[in-house]
Amino acid sequence: MDNFSQAIDRINELMDSSDGKTTNTSMRIPSALREAAGLVVSEFGAAPSTTALTTDALRGTVEAVVLQAVLDHHYTQHPKARPTLAELAIAAAELDGHPLAAKPDLLRRAAVEIFERHPQADADAVLLWAEARTFTSP
Amino acid sequence: MIHLVLLDNEAVQALGHPDHAKHRRVVSYVQVVAHRKQRAKPIYAAVPTCVRVEAGWDRTAPASAFLNRLRVVDVPLDTAGANVAARIRHEPGVSVPDAHLGAVIQTSTSQKLTVITSDPKDMRAIAGTGDVTIVAL
Repeated sequence: MDNFSQAIDRINELMDSSDGKTTNTSMRIPSALREAAGLVVSEFGAAPSTTALTTDALRGTVEAVVLQAVLDHHYTQHPKARPTLAELAIAAAELDGHPLAAKPDLLRRAAVEIFERHPQADADAVLLWAEARTFTSP
Repeated sequence: MIHLVLLDNEAVQALGHPDHAKHRRVVSYVQVVAHRKQRAKPIYAAVPTCVRVEAGWDRTAPASAFLNRLRVVDVPLDTAGANVAARIRHEPGVSVPDAHLGAVIQTSTSQKLTVITSDPKDMRAIAGTGDVTIVAL
């Protein structure tokens, strides 16, 4: 198995582990950030504790990075599997049950327009742009 | 707002096979999930375990590596879920995997629910009064 696959599988194994072991981390967190996190928990109930807030955020970030890494690797191996921005916008609309899911041509046009100015735009940006255009069009 | 995206058998088959006619389409849904996770939105892709059985997705099999790596979580059929699924199963033509899907939809606490399916009519029937967005493959 290649290094990429080993790394991804090990990360997923760790993420899915039901082992509740904890460790005193050696990561040094800026004091100001730690205090801000504490206030977010105590004043706004963002999480049961600062630890929970931190671990939830860390888990979310790791998951997001892993998932995108897997998809990018897949696209390298199967270039035809890579969706276009328009296809992603349609997918996003469909997932949300958005009314624009019934207007794929409009989303395709919006994707072209957005891509010209913002090549890194994602599906939600296209969806927002397309929706805004419906407000202004006659 | 937690958004749960459920896959049916056809969606799993399409996702697991790059040569499947609908592979790219299902990948696009997973890519949207990935992008939203990057924005820290609480969105998860999931598969009821009975659907996974129907699809032949053995998580220990090397051939399932790509599927396994996509962070699609299992929704197991516990006692309470089995009771709901058994009631749904009484409806004509409802399979066990579909009954499990129906139970997940009807008992989900997620604020937003989407099902990706090749049989939207059946999904609408088993969803009952559950509020769900049905994406027809």
